[in-house]
Amino acid sequence: MTNLAESEHVTVPPRRVPGQPDMWLFVLFEAMLFTGYFSVYLALRTQNEDLFLQSQADLDLRVGVFNTIVLLSSSWAVARCVRAARAGQYRSAMTFAAATVGFGVVFAIFKVGEWIHEIRLGNTFTSSEFFQHYYFLTSLHLIHVLIGFIVLGVLIYQLRSPLRRSQELVETCATYWHTVDFLWVMIFAMLYIVR
Amino acid sequence: MRDKSTKRLLIVWAILTALTLVYVWLDHTTDANGTLHASSVVTVSAIAIALIKVRIIFREFMEVRGAPAWLCRLTDGWVVVVAACLLGSYFIGSAVA
Repeated sequence: MTNLAESEHVTVPPRRVPGQPDMWLFVLFEAMLFTGYFSVYLALRTQNEDLFLQSQADLDLRVGVFNTIVLLSSSWAVARCVRAARAGQYRSAMTFAAATVGFGVVFAIFKVGEWIHEIRLGNTFTSSEFFQHYYFLTSLHLIHVLIGFIVLGVLIYQLRSPLRRSQELVETCATYWHTVDFLWVMIFAMLYIVR
Repeated sequence: MRDKSTKRLLIVWAILTALTLVYVWLDHTTDANGTLHASSVVTVSAIAIALIKVRIIFREFMEVRGAPAWLCRLTDGWVVVVAACLLGSYFIGSAVA
């Protein structure tokens, strides 16, 4: 009985925090900040519903959906990078990290393209309350994406040399990138879908 | 073991993508003639779907599923707090308006 319990104890992998706990504190802090903003946005929206809906009609849902799928794909790629690094397959891990950067670049290009399109339609930061929130949220998010490129750059740099490799660092970088992804999932729902 | 994990990640990605495409269907059913209409059903559904997606990202992509119980509870608690804040703001705002 004791042997069985001991052997079971040995086979169950220990539960551990993925990456550095500090990064999780940052993630939850960021998430709470955005939650506060979303709450204010939703409350303001209800006070001027028609105006918000009129402005929202100028957004192209297809671009939003495309960008969401691109970021979800980037999250999938960085998750594969973590698994590959854990398995000691560092070449594969670097390929997935590079793919994550590629998806991020596609997202950024389409986001800037969308801004240019909206500005051409006359929808600028000062044209309506909805577009103030739109530009503020999407630009703040894009700054997080740009910081993500630096984080992924550090990840690839660390993976390149056997002396620098650290699974904890790989997981920490991935946690940051996933945060960029789930924040966009919320922003997308707030700006493109909420009625 | 690794193939199983790889397959699981792909299934998770497919589910998240499918949930994103539900928005397109939601959009077409409520705004059939191209004009946007206010709708509590769409708003609540949009928030619910987004939070389901976030929880899946936490559990599967961010590996919270295999993390200590406190992190599972913390992330689940965050999802509940966000749902309460967003739905509360929306319904209180609507009542005031």
